[in-house]
This record gives sequence, structure tokens and C-alpha cells, in this order.
Amino acid sequence: MSEHSQPGSRPGVIHDLGYRHYDGVRDGTATIARTLFVTGLRHAYGLGRSGKSKVMPFLLLGMSVMPALIVVGVVVLTGGSSLPVSYADYTNQTQLLVSLFAAAQAPVLFSRDLRHRSIVLYFARPLAAPVFALVRWLSLTVAVWLFMSVPTLLLYLGALLSGLDKSDQTSALLKAVVLQVLLAMLIAGIAGLISSVSLRRGFAVVGSVMALIVLTGVITAVQAISAEEDADAVATAVGLFSPWSLYNGLADAWDAGVETFVPVDGAWPLAYALVALLLVAGCLLGLVARFRKVGSR
Amino acid sequence: MRNVTGEQHGPGPVITTAGLTKHYGAVHALTDLTVEVGAGVTGLVGANGAGKSTLIKILLGLLEPTGGHASVLGHDIEHGGQEIRRLVGYMPEHDCLPPDVSASDFTVHMARMSGLGASAARERSADVLRHVGLDEERYRPMGGYSTGMKQRAKLAQALAHDPQLVFLDEPTNGLDPAARNDMLRLVERIGSEFGIAVLVTSHLLGELEQVSDHVIVLDGGHLLRSSATGDFLQRTGSLLVEVVGTETERDRLGEALALRGLTCRPRGPMVAIDPPPPELAAEGVAHDLIRDVAAELGLGLMRLQPDRRHLEDVFLDGGAHV
Repeated sequence: MSEHSQPGSRPGVIHDLGYRHYDGVRDGTATIARTLFVTGLRHAYGLGRSGKSKVMPFLLLGMSVMPALIVVGVVVLTGGSSLPVSYADYTNQTQLLVSLFAAAQAPVLFSRDLRHRSIVLYFARPLAAPVFALVRWLSLTVAVWLFMSVPTLLLYLGALLSGLDKSDQTSALLKAVVLQVLLAMLIAGIAGLISSVSLRRGFAVVGSVMALIVLTGVITAVQAISAEEDADAVATAVGLFSPWSLYNGLADAWDAGVETFVPVDGAWPLAYALVALLLVAGCLLGLVARFRKVGSR
Repeated sequence: MRNVTGEQHGPGPVITTAGLTKHYGAVHALTDLTVEVGAGVTGLVGANGAGKSTLIKILLGLLEPTGGHASVLGHDIEHGGQEIRRLVGYMPEHDCLPPDVSASDFTVHMARMSGLGASAARERSADVLRHVGLDEERYRPMGGYSTGMKQRAKLAQALAHDPQLVFLDEPTNGLDPAARNDMLRLVERIGSEFGIAVLVTSHLLGELEQVSDHVIVLDGGHLLRSSATGDFLQRTGSLLVEVVGTETERDRLGEALALRGLTCRPRGPMVAIDPPPPELAAEGVAHDLIRDVAAELGLGLMRLQPDRRHLEDVFLDGGAHV
């Protein structure tokens, strides 16, 4: 122990049989951030938390995997020539479950520390407030992406099992994965920002549901009506205002197996991609600003 | 890492501030504070709003000062915030524990957030929870804890990564007298036995009298005084005398002593005698005189003792002067 090199410098050392100092390695900031990321990802699925906090995420995950299993069963048994639903469209069809998962689990990562003020204990440690905010967002992004990718991978395995063309399936899968990553970044940013501002879990969940589910419903309705009325520009432009319509529009433009009411073409795909990236950046700036402010209180 | 830390227990100060100032608009939380804090336990005293918590947050690098400089464990607060936060522990004043996590899990997690590996964090947490006195209850969710247990859990997370310095913000807040004594003994042990420098705040001066080696008094963001606890409590040269009987006997003694050249004033049931004039200042002369006068008057002496001042007196005096 270091006491030997400093004889007599620590008062009470001779009697100190109880307290032991720590002489070992201390991790750098990057390792601490990685630990926080992994913990956050586990917590999003209720792992390392109480038993009942695992119910909601795994129930939702089960519900989103079930149709994929049925589809796989049917395709393998009947030997169809293609999957009845594309990878990207499967995520779109289960959008209610994905949005619910994000809305329910974002408060775990973004509200809890603020509400119970344990955030102060994090900020008294090496990680700075902006890094903390970004790592939390990354945890939720990966959690949401995993939620979408598990059924997608099941479908892919089923397609390969039933002997569908491997290269076609793989390119469709990769397109879907890229789109899902972008969607997960959007959803995690929006739900995270809402949860970091409204600290009561109920309000946070309702806020995220409004932003992710109700708003998307309204936009889909507006798109359907304007397509019916032949107001194509309106139908496409309105799609810029929800993460799901952005996802669908980009999937349509990229030929990833989703059909929107009006084809997204011309300069629109670029606009969709730009808006999606700006929205992600905006959410991140908002999160960083929010945690900075809390950190200096 | 510890070899770096060894230096801290040398003679150098653990914290130094120079002209530290923090203004929130028109509110002056700290004004031109220049102090040094050494090893051992240092008490930071002041009423609510005196700037104690602001000072701690600035030292942690969480708040930017409006002016002035400070360094903690040899790191400048402007540039070395992250290094400082690696080496210090912080126990905030307010509640900061998630109710659905056990103290054991929480302390492990917080140790990891300070950079300890998984197994080291588990080992240290078990150690530290034992030291703060959380036994079986450490495995229960903290939402069901009493205030005393919560304070212990908060202290455990502050010590989990074996810091060189801990900031304890009002650790005795809300505790009953027995738990308060336990906490103070623990604070004393952290400073002496654990060899960790402690900066502990309180608005109760009597508490710090018991445990700290050094006391800093803040009032309205200004430094009132900073010196060793012993200096605060130094003998003043005054004497206190009490005789058997009522106020009549007390006054008879006081008047008789005044005739012999001592300045007396009543204090409760006792007579307080100011430091004696030069002709009576020799060792024991004043004592003999008091004994003789009491005998002449036929009064029974009950008590004759040096008048030690309390921290409160210093605080009140200082407050009156500023």
C-alpha cells in the first residue's frame, strides 16, 4: 500500500485495518462512456432492473416478432417465390409497436436521472453533460434499432431457408437496415427530447405517443386525402413532418419495398433525407442544451 | 494512480482559491473568496444562501466562476475539471437516489461511472457500504430507506471510487440526534482513518466544532474567517465563577470583586470576569483573589473555570463586525 512510501503522513495509519485504498487502474472517459452506453441499452429492455420493468419491452418485442414468425412459417411451408411483405415494409406495418416501445422506454433513459436528481452524481464524475446526453441517445437509438431488426432478421433467415434468391434478399435487407438506423436515430431523438423535458413518466409517454403515433396518423390521413384530390405536391410535402412518413418516403424513393400514396421522386428524396438529418441534429442539440442546463444547476 | 495521490497528503493545500467570485445577475453568491483548505476535515459554515453549495459546485467544475481562480488537488478548475471530478467525491445536499434501485447496485454503478472496472467496483462498493454502516438493507430498493439510510447511501457513492477529497454538503441534514452523531463520527473517520481530505458544510456550528480541524466561515458570499478549530476555541483569558445561592449572592461577589480591580459582568447564574489587569495577571493571582473574596463574604464557591468561547460566539462577533 502507498502508506509505506509515505511513513507517518497518513494520520491513524497504524490502526487502519479497515479502510483499504484503491490502487488499481482507472478507466478513461471513453471506457466510462461505453459502460454507460451498455448499461443504458440493457435498461431499455429492463435488464438489470426489476422484474416488472422487463414486461413492457419484451411484450412489445414479442408482439412485433410474432407476425414475422407466421410469415416465415407460411413461406417455408408453402414454398412461395417471394416474401409477402418487404423488410422495410414490415417495420412500417409494425410502426405502432416500435413507437410504443420508444415512448415507453425513453423515460427510463432520459427522465429517471433528472427526476430523482441522480444526474448530479453523474455530473460530479468525469463524463461531461453533453457526452452523457449523447451516450443516452445512442443507447436508445440502438435499443430501438434492435427492436426493428430482430423481426427483420427473422424474415431474412426464413427467406433464405425457403430458398429465395440470396443476393436479392441481401440487398433488400441492407436497404432496410440503413433506413431503420436513420429511423431509430429520429425516433430516439424525438422521444428522448420529450422525456428529458417532461419528467413525469406519464407525461413523457403521452408526449412521445402524440409526436410519434398521433401526428403520424394525422399526416397519413392528410396524405391519403391529398392523393385522392390529386394534390400530389401537398401529399409529398406533408410527409416531411413525421419520422414515419420520412422513412416511408425514403423507402419508396429507394425502391426498398414500401409504396407511398404518391411516389416520392425528383428532388423530394433529397429533401426527405436532409430534413431527417436536420431533425436528428436538432434533437441532439436540444438534448445537449437540456443536459447542460441541468448540469449547471 | 495512487502514487500521484500520495502527494496530496504532503504539506500542500488540497484546495486553493484566489478572488473567487460568482454573481447570478444581481445576486452575489460568492464575493472575492480567497481561502486554502488542507488535509483532514475542514468545516464550511454559513447560513442558508451563504454560498457554500455554490463554492462546491465551482470547485467541481460544474459552475463557471464570474471571476477569480481556484485549484483542486493541483488541477486548475478552468481546464482540469474532468481530472478533478476523477479524484473527488461529492455528496449533494438534496435527495439524489433513484427509489427503484438497491444501494448495492447503485454504488457499483456509480463507482464504474468514476472509472473503476466491474470487479473492482463491486469489491469497493461492498467495502464502502460496510464502512458507512449499511448492512442487509443494501440489497433493498432505496425508495424504502429512512433518511439516515439514504444519507449513508449518498455517502457510500461519494466514497466508492476512493477519492482523495470528498465534498459533503450538509451530511447531517434531517437526521435525529443519534444518527447525527454517527454521521459526524463517520466524517471524522474519513478525514483521519481513511486519509481522505473532507470539506463538509453545515449551518450548525456546534457540529463542526466536534469534527473539523479547520473551519471556514462564509456569510452572504463573503469570507468571515478561516482558521484552525483550536484558534476559534482558544482561551480568552476570561474566567467564569459561580457561587452557591441566588442572584443576590452572585451580585455580592461581583461587586466585591469589582472593588478589588476586576471587571465583572453577570452571565446567567455566573459571574464572567474579563481578562485581569496587569497587576493581577500573574499565574494564579486572580484565582487566589477570587477565593479570598468568596471566603471573606462567606460564599460557597461552586465553579471557577476558564471561559472558552464557542464557534457560535465567533460567528456572531464576526457577523456583527462585517
